[in-house]
Amino acid sequence: MAVHPPAPHEKTPAPPSVTISDAASPTASHAAPDSAGAVPRRTVLRAAAAGGGALLLGACASRKDAPRHATADPWRQFAGTTLNFISENTAPTAAIAADLRPFTRLTGIRVNIVTLELSALVQKVALDLASGQAQYQVIYADPYQVLAPYSKGLVELRELAAEPDLPKPPGGFDDFIPTQLDAAGRFADDDKVFALPYDCPTMIWQYRRDLFDKYRDRMAADLGFDPMPGEDTTWEQYYAIAEWFNDNADDVPYGTGHQAKQHDSLMCDFSNVLWAHGGGYFDDDPAVGRLGAVDPGPCRLDSDAAIAAAEFYRRLLAIADPASRTWDWDGVGAAFRAGRLAMCPNWHEFAAANEEVMPGKVGYAPLPKGPARRAGMYGGTGIAISANTLPNERRAAWLFLVWATSPDTQLRGLASKVGGGTPTRRSVYDRPDVKAAARRPSPMPNLLTTDAVERTWRPDAIGLRPKIPMWNECDTAVYTEVSRMLAGDASPAEAMRSARRRFDRIIARGWKA
Amino acid sequence: MTGPTAPAAPADAAGGTARPTPRARRVRLLPGFEGRMMAPGLLLLAALSIVPFLAIIVMSLARVRLLGGVGLDWVGVDNWKRFFTDPDLGWIWVRTGVYFTLTVGLEMLLGLGLALAVWRLARGRNAALTLLLLPMFAAPVIVGLLGRFLTDSTFGLYTWLLRQVGYDGDILGSKASAFTAVVLMDVWEWTPLVTLIALAGLTSIPASVREAAAIDGAGGWSMLVHIILPSISNVLLVALLIRSMDAIRYFDVIWATTGGGPADATKTVPVRLYETAFRFFDLGYAAAIGLAMLAASIVVARAFIRVLDREGLTR
Repeated sequence: MAVHPPAPHEKTPAPPSVTISDAASPTASHAAPDSAGAVPRRTVLRAAAAGGGALLLGACASRKDAPRHATADPWRQFAGTTLNFISENTAPTAAIAADLRPFTRLTGIRVNIVTLELSALVQKVALDLASGQAQYQVIYADPYQVLAPYSKGLVELRELAAEPDLPKPPGGFDDFIPTQLDAAGRFADDDKVFALPYDCPTMIWQYRRDLFDKYRDRMAADLGFDPMPGEDTTWEQYYAIAEWFNDNADDVPYGTGHQAKQHDSLMCDFSNVLWAHGGGYFDDDPAVGRLGAVDPGPCRLDSDAAIAAAEFYRRLLAIADPASRTWDWDGVGAAFRAGRLAMCPNWHEFAAANEEVMPGKVGYAPLPKGPARRAGMYGGTGIAISANTLPNERRAAWLFLVWATSPDTQLRGLASKVGGGTPTRRSVYDRPDVKAAARRPSPMPNLLTTDAVERTWRPDAIGLRPKIPMWNECDTAVYTEVSRMLAGDASPAEAMRSARRRFDRIIARGWKA
Repeated sequence: MTGPTAPAAPADAAGGTARPTPRARRVRLLPGFEGRMMAPGLLLLAALSIVPFLAIIVMSLARVRLLGGVGLDWVGVDNWKRFFTDPDLGWIWVRTGVYFTLTVGLEMLLGLGLALAVWRLARGRNAALTLLLLPMFAAPVIVGLLGRFLTDSTFGLYTWLLRQVGYDGDILGSKASAFTAVVLMDVWEWTPLVTLIALAGLTSIPASVREAAAIDGAGGWSMLVHIILPSISNVLLVALLIRSMDAIRYFDVIWATTGGGPADATKTVPVRLYETAFRFFDLGYAAAIGLAMLAASIVVARAFIRVLDREGLTR
């Protein structure tokens, strides 16, 4: 948990002091029971009980809203307010937490940041929303675990953006990359925005460029195609390259590695292949992924295309590093940096760590195409405001949302020494300095992936898992069945049919937040 | 609660007649002295245990909503029907049973063996005991994280050691080895507790009894089977009870290492309960699973307590 300390120049209100009379102590009352001015013990106890009762009632009483000051500066209206921001322990939050002074200087608002592992965050948010309070005014709203199940517990941001006295997001909502605004910010209704895109991890192909350069000609001769990742590279070619490295190169033990632990990561890794083969979770996967739905209809994981994808995935994992079945994204990232793998699909934000360990040796490309299309899983998240907030508290939280997702803050995050994600706004990618940083040598190594991620964010290439309220259970169903398939407990067809049955059972139960 | 009838003694003390008055013979509505003394504890117990227990029973008959304050939609016995027809849950119970038997069995055997070894040590007993007890002081989740690092296929020490002796598999990657690994992690952490309890029992065996047995010609094995084990059977039962209660709700290490995989090979009832409650937020169904787990714990605890009772050790 990271809690940002108050800025040195801020005044911290003094804690309420409590003075206890000597007479309140049993010793004092016993020592001089009849002396003038002494308070009998019973009176003290009564007073203590009354005080306790008052405290209890105070705790139960309605909360006090943040004061709004009359000022010409719209950013300073809520100076003195304290906000709590609960976030997954991600790179952009690390960068913001490391330097909140610009926001505090701008607004006079103090922000406490609590960072947690995602599942712990989801629990805290759910319980906070259930409490009817808003211990956390600003929420890291994972589209699948927070936004979809609890969209009714979040503030509709267009209403705040429409208030004339409040600052607007620079460039408006349209400056956010459209697929990201839909996926991370909306749920079920095109007219409402519940979160502003805050980070945008996306799965891409990460490969040892040095080894590909070294063996390019030999591989081309042996395989019959240019192995360098390109626009037309297919998953079958990816398989062939991986197998070639297994058999012919001593530089790395394995050609490919995957995040195939029985975990959310396995669903992410498998979904890239599923979509590329033309399979999907539901009939209208792109819409269910982009806007989301409460009732997505019957599951289609038992389609021929899905079964073909599962067969390919099993074949691919059979030649991958066997430890893949123990790795999530961190595990495969560590193995890649340790020199075990020639290539792997992983989140693009691992680029910074790759460049630190193997500067200049890693290349980044969109994931290969399948028989149907190219698809790279998008894992971005937005930040939202709890609907339990009081009106002014909500407006103060809006100031933080606007500031945290502004181009300047995203740019500062890119250059942060402690992390920093990648921007979610088009205007940032259009800046000359950001474009320059997409080429080596780059002071912002995550930007080396810019070309790969921008091509993946196109509507026809982005991979969006179903945004449904009961996704967590469906997610568990799919990665458990794929794990069973990889362990040899089920054939691809059996695994997909079993996953479909589980999905349908879960969807049939419905969801009530 | 109905209190006992008032005794005559206070009346005597007050200088009144020794015969109980009709008023004193009446049953009191207010609790007696003992009841009043126990009341704070009972109220605390009610607040901490009984109220949540009743709440869980109610939740198991409802669908729980969270937004806008906790709300319940009554579903009758739907959650219980689902519990008895859940296609996965049967295997999860079987797996939990196997896991329970293996961990508790190994911990008892190894703990007793280590206790005997430490007991026989003439020198350095304290140092050996201190070293043995170290794993017990680590939080279970730390044991899980440590286990994950040690078995990691890229930089894990145990993986490297196993590769030196020809094992090329991935410890947490296959079903059998992953299950074995989480069992051994629990055994590593909690065997010292059994050792400690058994050692306490061993040190309480009178030397005269052992000397008498030795004079009668009892060898090492006979001494162990006929003198030592019967002498410490009571403390071993207590150790068994403590470890059993703990093993049934074992969660941390599995969650930190395998998350229940691969292919559900390490998914036990507590893991499933956690998923249902805090990943799926299906709190009504989770309440049903939790109550079933509680019932299983009570059955196991009662079995051991009955044995202790038969031995006259609960009084």
